[in-house]
Amino acid sequence: MVRRILRAERRAPEALGKYVYCVIRYPNEKKSFGDLGFDDGEVYTLDYRDLAPVVSDVAFRDYAVNEGEVEIHRRVVEQIMKEHSVIPVAYGMAFKSRKLLQIAMGAGYKAMQKALEVVEGRVELGIKVFLPRELENWDSAQRQDCSSDFLQNLLAISSDWKNLKLFSDRLILNSAFLVDKSALEEFSEQVGRLTTKYEELKVQYSGPWPAYNFVDIHILGGQRRGGFR
Amino acid sequence: MFFIDDLLLRALGVSLPGLDLIWTLEQIQRFAYKGYYNPEKIKNKIKETRLLYEFGELAREEYERKNSELMHKLELAKKFEEMDLGTRMDILG
Repeated sequence: MVRRILRAERRAPEALGKYVYCVIRYPNEKKSFGDLGFDDGEVYTLDYRDLAPVVSDVAFRDYAVNEGEVEIHRRVVEQIMKEHSVIPVAYGMAFKSRKLLQIAMGAGYKAMQKALEVVEGRVELGIKVFLPRELENWDSAQRQDCSSDFLQNLLAISSDWKNLKLFSDRLILNSAFLVDKSALEEFSEQVGRLTTKYEELKVQYSGPWPAYNFVDIHILGGQRRGGFR
Repeated sequence: MFFIDDLLLRALGVSLPGLDLIWTLEQIQRFAYKGYYNPEKIKNKIKETRLLYEFGELAREEYERKNSELMHKLELAKKFEEMDLGTRMDILG
């Protein structure tokens, strides 16, 4: 028994789990992105065939939704996105061992390859159009006209789009657009023109984000939405 | 111990005014809980509050207070769902 415990202790460093931030195309050699991860851990690539999960070593635990930790996850992915096209991974995806991660990668390999084709060279941008208090009573026709105008103008510059939930009565458009990096400037200019046209409304333009709303691969049957989970 | 539940009486076509009233009050209470502790509605409210803060309609302190209230309410809502208060148990056997 004692011997077994001692053996387990000796194995402790390898027993650390792997927290996955995103998946990229394998960059031909192990790459480090610096000590940006949880507990200031090194963020680095592992390899699985031509794909590379980007991970850091962590003590395996449950990742409850916590603003600070979600921010760490977001910052790491943002850093990686500067150089690579990423398949986003939902917050909180930690594996007990490298072996379990490899098994999950194997199960999702085909879907991830397809996803990489979708996101390669593209980013997600978000648009929310919100009515100020004084225009809260806009009727459905006015709301429809305005959101259609935004959509028609922005769809022409994007590869794909998703209508997201209108979680407030004052929200008239909540959409995500998949846009080629080369069309980013044109897209932003168009948003600027629409914002000026509807200057009485509140418009939130956000991104570039990893394509969370355009990749949906389920491996572990998790409840989280978006990306590989 | 044999326990005659109001639902059994109802199935037998027996209506006791006292039990009817309790049953109705229980249904109203359950309905009110479900409306108040609806996780989807609370999540929407959390997102709306965040948006109001980002658009400058809420000050930082007000946003933090409201957000923490809503997060607490969401926790309760999840517990309420797990408990399923609508399920009765005859603990008298």
